[in-house]
Amino acid sequence: MQMLADTRGRMRAELWASLVILAGVAILPTVMTNDYWRGVIVVSMYFAMLSIGWNLLAGYTGQFSLAPATFGMIGGYTTGLLAYHLNATGLSGIPAALIVAGMIGFILARIVMRLRGPYLALTTLSFAEIMRLVIGNSIDFTRGDLGLNVPSLFESRLIYYYAMLVVLALIQLGIYALLSSPAGLYLRAIRDDEVAAAGRGIMIVHWKTYAFTISAAISGLAGALYGHFAQLVSPEMGLISQSGLIISMVVIGGLGTLVGPIGGAFLVYVASELLREAGGYQLIIFALLVIVFARFFREGLWGLLSAGHERLMARRAAAPAE
Amino acid sequence: MSYLFVHGLTMAFGGVRALESVTFGIERGELVGLIGPNGSGKTTLVNILSGHLRPDGGRVELDGRRIDGLRPEILARRGVLRTFQLTRVFPRMNAIDNLVAVGCALGLTQREAERRGSKIMEELSLAGLCGLDAGHLSGGQMKLLEFGACFMVPPKIALLDEPFAAIHPTMKEIMAAFIRRYHAAGQTFLLISHDMPVIVELCPRALCLDAGAVIADGLTREVLTDRVVIEAYLGEAAA
Repeated sequence: MQMLADTRGRMRAELWASLVILAGVAILPTVMTNDYWRGVIVVSMYFAMLSIGWNLLAGYTGQFSLAPATFGMIGGYTTGLLAYHLNATGLSGIPAALIVAGMIGFILARIVMRLRGPYLALTTLSFAEIMRLVIGNSIDFTRGDLGLNVPSLFESRLIYYYAMLVVLALIQLGIYALLSSPAGLYLRAIRDDEVAAAGRGIMIVHWKTYAFTISAAISGLAGALYGHFAQLVSPEMGLISQSGLIISMVVIGGLGTLVGPIGGAFLVYVASELLREAGGYQLIIFALLVIVFARFFREGLWGLLSAGHERLMARRAAAPAE
Repeated sequence: MSYLFVHGLTMAFGGVRALESVTFGIERGELVGLIGPNGSGKTTLVNILSGHLRPDGGRVELDGRRIDGLRPEILARRGVLRTFQLTRVFPRMNAIDNLVAVGCALGLTQREAERRGSKIMEELSLAGLCGLDAGHLSGGQMKLLEFGACFMVPPKIALLDEPFAAIHPTMKEIMAAFIRRYHAAGQTFLLISHDMPVIVELCPRALCLDAGAVIADGLTREVLTDRVVIEAYLGEAAA
């Protein structure tokens, strides 16, 4: 039972690490008064939500979707279109975004259910491009590539900042609760060996659909919040490069860990802002980092940190107690 | 009718007839050995019984209900659990979670599954390894863990595909003792093995497959000394 507690402890450590990051973000505005940089952190939080959604799917369920940004775009457009055509407020638009994105995620899940590996990736990639082109070309309905103005929710940037932070923290706690329940075990079992999972009574289709739907709903919520903050949604939100950015955040932070997506999102997005001067080089740097991490450090920065910590503890345990 | 009833099961892969009208029955509480040379169709038969393959023809009934053609996850819930010849565990989950996941999927609460999982780990002498990722276990320990997963909720029938292959004699003895104990308590088994001494020791009854057909079915000692069986293993000249 001691060992049992140890692995539960591993997940709890990841949760705590992520909450420490969020606490840091919470006190950051006291020293960071620059509105521009507060905006950068808000956008980082948008990416952190998308990363959490994608990590649930890819890191915990083994379903390597290439459409994480697409669901953010769908969420943004749901609330944007509701406001544009029906004068709906964010109060109805944001929940609607969560539901619509979740439903589309559900439908996509039903379509790709029996596909694995590269076939799944290619199908979701096609889906992502189709969605982006449909939105970009439905000019009468969506204003196409011009983008759609979305009404602002709050006057102050600081309120957005803390609203995003609260939602992000709630999502993170929700994911922790999900992964600590039997559902979390089923998802990881499917990731590790689908054939064995089926042979031991785990309802593959049901749980994959579940993961897809929740992942999409989280992304939709993120996209809607982002849309209200930026006051603009455009098909660019669904670009493949945006999905690539999300994937690199998760891989660099730590795929299949609770802290990876959050740490990775802040790190990569803030770094990309700092490297903005360097022009096109930033994407090259992240792409290289992804290759290095995928090849050598499967669990990303978090994996490196925890391995280093374990080694330190082992050395301390081995040293004579004097 | 038998508890597990297999009738006229036929399966072909392209031009190769893997099973040719296989018919047999297993009674509740029986421990039946399934033997046969390589390529005789043993694993194909188990794959059909566990839902990993759909038969071309024939029917399978368990406890009076038709079960052929159902998906593996449904069959597992109906009480058909199996091990794989090439061991399958969930490598990035720790050993106890490997068991808890199965227990919960088959209807136990998390607390019950944890209790039951710990008990099985103890019965299989794996208790110290609960927190270790299954992918870090030795080959034999993985086999034991996969084996244990079949008994989280005692199945109607356990299909064991070569559970003793390439494992240490000590572990083999742990597993054999487990099988004896559960068999004595009324558990039904179908056990594939190439290890004849184990089959003789454990299984009162044996079935022999050759080229997709049942060529012998009866008391194990009689099946093993059957002329047709010896011919199947060693060729005609030997018999």
